[in-house]
Amino acid sequence: MKRRALFKLAACGAAAASCGLARPADRTRLRVNVQTIIDCVPVVVAIKNGYFAQEGLEIDTSTSGGGAVGIPGLLGGAYDIVQSNTVSGLLAFSQGLDVQVIAPGAKMLPQAPTTEMVGRRGEAYRTAADLEGKSIGVNNRNGIVWLYARAWVKARGGDPAKVSFREVPFPQMEDAVRRRNVDAAFMVEPFKSAAVKSPELAVVGSPFGEVQPGTDAGHYLTTGKFAAQNPELLRKFTRALRRGVEWYNANLSTKEAQQIVSEFTRLPPAVLQEIVLPPMPLQVEVAQIRRTAELMRDHGMFAAVPDIDRYINKDLIAP
Amino acid sequence: MHGTTTSIGLRRLLQGMSGIALVLALLALWEASARLGWVESRNWPPFTQVLLALWDGLRSGELLRLVASTVGFMLVGYAAGSAAGIALGLLLGLSPLAQRFASPLVETLRPIPIAAVVPPLILFLGVGDALKIFTVAFSTFFPVLLNTIAGVRDGSEVLRQTARTLRLSRAATLRKIVLPGALPAIFAGLRTSLGIALVVVIVAEMVAGASGVGHFIVQSQYAMQPAPMYAAVACLSLVGYALNRLVLVLERSALPWHGAS
Repeated sequence: MKRRALFKLAACGAAAASCGLARPADRTRLRVNVQTIIDCVPVVVAIKNGYFAQEGLEIDTSTSGGGAVGIPGLLGGAYDIVQSNTVSGLLAFSQGLDVQVIAPGAKMLPQAPTTEMVGRRGEAYRTAADLEGKSIGVNNRNGIVWLYARAWVKARGGDPAKVSFREVPFPQMEDAVRRRNVDAAFMVEPFKSAAVKSPELAVVGSPFGEVQPGTDAGHYLTTGKFAAQNPELLRKFTRALRRGVEWYNANLSTKEAQQIVSEFTRLPPAVLQEIVLPPMPLQVEVAQIRRTAELMRDHGMFAAVPDIDRYINKDLIAP
Repeated sequence: MHGTTTSIGLRRLLQGMSGIALVLALLALWEASARLGWVESRNWPPFTQVLLALWDGLRSGELLRLVASTVGFMLVGYAAGSAAGIALGLLLGLSPLAQRFASPLVETLRPIPIAAVVPPLILFLGVGDALKIFTVAFSTFFPVLLNTIAGVRDGSEVLRQTARTLRLSRAATLRKIVLPGALPAIFAGLRTSLGIALVVVIVAEMVAGASGVGHFIVQSQYAMQPAPMYAAVACLSLVGYALNRLVLVLERSALPWHGAS
């Protein structure tokens, strides 16, 4: 609700979006907004290893709490590029805001599940009868976690309208399940791995794996205006980012990568060793975005699926 | 009577210490509940761990840097909001016409909770220093404004009539009669606003910040490090206490004739 009004207000801000930042100096500065989560580590890797510098780019990263803050910042001219989850981006696009996808961010791979439904051990969530009347903790309503929790309930034969979805921040989800404030919670790492260490809790489902394996969870976005004015700049950005992703994927299990992740996310190395670090995607999979948009329509987030072909930057991404 | 002074002194000392004793008892309860498993949670570290994190944070300078950054922005916003509140308050207090004109706008804006204001402001102010300063100034403004208006209104009518009789100019009346008369109320407003300013700057940092104590608190939770989080909260609590005491000292020196509460 809040986010919708916010995005509408952002339409005015879009008109005021800043343009052109060509610096006559040797490097061009790009302001990229990221979250301090594992998904954004490839950007840090690309900066550290000099891939951006080699393309003549200087990346000015700023962090924020997510798409709800990043996208208005993008439209208001505070950033040139933001990392955002798929649902926030599609929601903004569906409201006529000038955002487009330029690079892949994160993907939900079935072979390395990171975000799963955690509940009490021994409790079943197989049939509709098990699920209806229960409560599920999600970090934000109208977000990607909420959407796939609902889709998961439906996939297991339940009616999402009969399940209550409560907002619980990720760090508090384990406590909420243990205290029965919610019956289950859809957790991300590192909270998921930490929670299932308790004997009472266990993974009870893998919503992304069950509903849509390979979901594109996040992307890097920019405004259409910025893309039209700076096509070469964006090509350089995506090239360097790609190299960052490749390095990260090749060095996932090394101490060096763990060190970078630890410094960026502030997760202690001991905690990192307990979790699965999934590889990051090299391509945007448009079919996955379309599927997510269809789910968003089915669950009432918008009336009709927006034109995905106009949502992706065709110069940088194959439709 | 012999021994009375000693027993009075002792009683005073014990009364003073009873407050500290209560705090210590609660901290002991915290420690016991975490260590003995009365409360089992990853987010509930024993208090001694929090003390260690506090010590580490202070030693490395990180906590001091964070607090300095947060308090710095808070004070800038606080000064701006207070100055505007006092200036407008004097104007509206002296001119009923102006007050009637401004009142609907003030009464509409005043109840808006700051957490609701922060996201739309991101569009105009970005995610950074300007946002923090503005939200603090916005929240500081209203209590100071209202208290200043009340202070002007409640000022002694007798003194104002005396000023008129003595043909004091408008400026002199303001400076010598109205302002000093309003100062007690203004200070009350400043003290209220200070508490609000500290809360608001933290909220702004939590919702849309990339630096400062508020952001650190959120980040520590997501990094599964509750002890540093509580250490930062403890720091904040000490800072709030210190700032409040500071304002009381300033009030006492500015208003020696008025029994400051």
